[in-house]
Amino acid sequence: MATWLVRRLAASIAIVFAVVTITFFVIHAAPGSPFLPAESQHLTPETLRRLSTEFGLDRSLPEQYLLFLRNVVRGNLGQSFALRRPVADALADAIPNTFTLALAALIIDFALGLALGIYQAVRAGRVGDVVSGNGALLVNSMPVFWLGLVLLLVFGQWLRWAPVGGLSNPVLCPRLDSPACGLDFLWHLTLPALTLGLVGAASTARYQRAAMLEVIRQDFVRTARAKGLRERRVLLVHALRNALLPVITLFGLAFPFLFTGAVLVETVFAWPGMGRLAVNAIFQRDYPVVTGAALLTSAMVVLGNLIADVLYAVADPRIRVRSETA
Amino acid sequence: MPTPRTRLSDRRIATLALAALAWLTACERPVGCTGDYCGTLVIATAGEPDILLPVVSEFSVTRDVADRLFLKLADVGPSGNTSGDEDFQPQLAERWEWDAPTTLVFHLDPRARWQDGQPVTAADVAFTYDAYTDTLVNSPFRPSLRQIAAVTTRDSLTVVFRFRQRYPEMFYDAVYHLRILPAHLLRELPRTQWHSAPFGRAPVGDGPYRFVAWKAGESIEIAADSTFFRGRPHIRRVIWRFTPDQTVAVTQLIAGDADAVEVLVSPDNVQRACAEPQLACYPYKGAAYGYVAFNLAAQGDTSKPHPLFGDRDLRRALVMATDRERLLHNVFGDLAKVPPGPMPQLWWIWDPEIRGLPDDSGQAARLLTRSGWIDSDGDGIRDKDGHPLSFRLLVPTTSAVRRTYARLLQEQFRTAGVDVQIDEVDFSVFTERARTGRFDALIAVWNSDPTPSSGFTQTWTRGGFGRSNYGRYDNPDVDRLVDQAVVSAGSRDQARRAWRAAIETLNRDAPGIMLFATSNVAAFHKRFADVTIRPDSWLAQLATWRVPADRLTDRDRVEH
Repeated sequence: MATWLVRRLAASIAIVFAVVTITFFVIHAAPGSPFLPAESQHLTPETLRRLSTEFGLDRSLPEQYLLFLRNVVRGNLGQSFALRRPVADALADAIPNTFTLALAALIIDFALGLALGIYQAVRAGRVGDVVSGNGALLVNSMPVFWLGLVLLLVFGQWLRWAPVGGLSNPVLCPRLDSPACGLDFLWHLTLPALTLGLVGAASTARYQRAAMLEVIRQDFVRTARAKGLRERRVLLVHALRNALLPVITLFGLAFPFLFTGAVLVETVFAWPGMGRLAVNAIFQRDYPVVTGAALLTSAMVVLGNLIADVLYAVADPRIRVRSETA
Repeated sequence: MPTPRTRLSDRRIATLALAALAWLTACERPVGCTGDYCGTLVIATAGEPDILLPVVSEFSVTRDVADRLFLKLADVGPSGNTSGDEDFQPQLAERWEWDAPTTLVFHLDPRARWQDGQPVTAADVAFTYDAYTDTLVNSPFRPSLRQIAAVTTRDSLTVVFRFRQRYPEMFYDAVYHLRILPAHLLRELPRTQWHSAPFGRAPVGDGPYRFVAWKAGESIEIAADSTFFRGRPHIRRVIWRFTPDQTVAVTQLIAGDADAVEVLVSPDNVQRACAEPQLACYPYKGAAYGYVAFNLAAQGDTSKPHPLFGDRDLRRALVMATDRERLLHNVFGDLAKVPPGPMPQLWWIWDPEIRGLPDDSGQAARLLTRSGWIDSDGDGIRDKDGHPLSFRLLVPTTSAVRRTYARLLQEQFRTAGVDVQIDEVDFSVFTERARTGRFDALIAVWNSDPTPSSGFTQTWTRGGFGRSNYGRYDNPDVDRLVDQAVVSAGSRDQARRAWRAAIETLNRDAPGIMLFATSNVAAFHKRFADVTIRPDSWLAQLATWRVPADRLTDRDRVEH
């Protein structure tokens, strides 16, 4: 297991390195300059040269890349051109917000998806299965930003049950330093997390339904029922564990979806996370922020997949045995 | 039938829910503030300052925040007049006088204090001027200060400005751009590091408001300084909430999450916001104008004329072929006007009587035919010497207004036998191509100061080459007339005549198509009273706004 884990970690580091390298060269190759932010801003050629020198952009691309790598190894992600602050500080502000949003969405995704999938499998072919299945398909077919806009319009603007954006109420909770303001934060989290979570849940439910249907027809389930176990125990203990494997794979795959989906959801709900930060940085050709965001996002996605692999091994003893004997 | 255990769980859940609700409502419990100094203003804005150090940033939202924290020596009055000094209002300076035609002396108010308790002195003013003109700091306002030869101190409260020559807007140049900075806090900081100075994220000012907090990507809060020497502001807290775009900002306003939006921008937003019973709308003159700039120089070799737009008759024909009123109505409704030249409505030289080329498609067609542009092969596009009358129009993807204009122009030109291909690129690429002249024509928008003196020069004279004169329009007559208007005119009327002559000459040359000059509409929650807006700086009169005691809401009363 340890060898396997070390091998997977090494592969993960290689993947992150590749993503960062590709991002670095692609963003530098993109047309446009980081020092031309506004039409009415007047920078002389001398100033542009000075700024280029100051930020090391006058060097060759390979030189800049090596410098970037050296700084990354030392924990220095550089200085943002547009935000006028260290990239690490900007990312440190944004990461907890995106992480919280992704985590909340993940909980909604799997809690709702698993429950719905099990319900559909148990009620296979009946009205409940058909209605909830089509409902899930409808939600799954919606672009995430569109669903966000609909929720915003209905629950934010029309019904006024939820705030229409932001992280907290800036008047009442300028800093999240009281329990009441913690609840205010959760209240602001509701719509963006629901938006991301519902789309994911619809997909998870479809996988879970298929997996459960396959499992509950197998002999060991029939045997469990024949032993007189209660139906709830048969389903939730015997069948569910065996039906979880494809969903655990989905858990690993959910991370890229959550982070890319967060880009759109953060924009719709004015949620100050990594997605908004990265998109703005791309438009402003803020190279250090783009590469810094790519580094962290890819690391988190790779980590998510690694966790999924570990969970897979936990859920399926055959995998554990294979990796131990390999 | 629920079991006793289930009932207990239900009760537990209900108790938890009630506790949560109590917690949440406790957060909104009205406490504290009563009276005339309790207002809280939440502004939703589609943009965030880069740094709260006014010398290095020219973002309008930075200016909105920084102008509450840092004082100028004096500021433009409600009339908006920028000539002479009679309409200006004292801020940091309690009075001023002219020692000589080019020597201006300011006497600082001895009551002025930095928010760390230090007095504001003449040395701070001299230090500020030095920073604004330092090439290492590279302030965007440096070009506006080029007529000031020196700033020196006479004593701790007296500062002297010496100008290179006499001209109508000397006083404006001395006071409008300089936000006085605390020398004792910034002197030790190397000038090359000012663009990312920590001071810029937690500034200490001398204005009516103190900096409270900046939550990156979310909000900035400032609070009224109750000891401010010019009087305590009525609005106690001002909070900017940052949104990804204007539509989200308007949605927050309508939903009650914000109290004000500076500009509603589109007719749709105006309709949405102004229909809300709790909101009041305030129209005011816009500071922006948009135009198609023709590139008069060949791409890659600015010494040669552009193969199409080097021809003055062709440019004139294209201007006349454009039905600008119809375009404007389609995009803005009533929220803009067709400008009589390259100017926003804000400029005092705005005059609908200024002569320009007519919107006359018949005359345009005749001029094109006379110039040899005819549709010889019947494909609907005019051609000459085997070359079709075709060009590419550059617009940024980030501007819905410009993209819409581009499509409408494409259609109008198609009916005139002109083929237009639209290049939509992201803003960074747009700016780079504009500055390096890699375009045939582009749609630009210029946001201006309250005076044409700097904006017009940068955009339409030889002095704007390499800056914002993207199309390299060059007419020595226009340059001379502008120089006369800015520098030599003895009176405002003389300056107005010179400006008019310059703009009419430019209009005849048709270096671009002047499409729109915006009219702004701000929206506020109705509990705010005495709201007046100075068009060049919408929050300039904030100190006089208030929430009457009988209209206070929980938002206004909450204490921290």
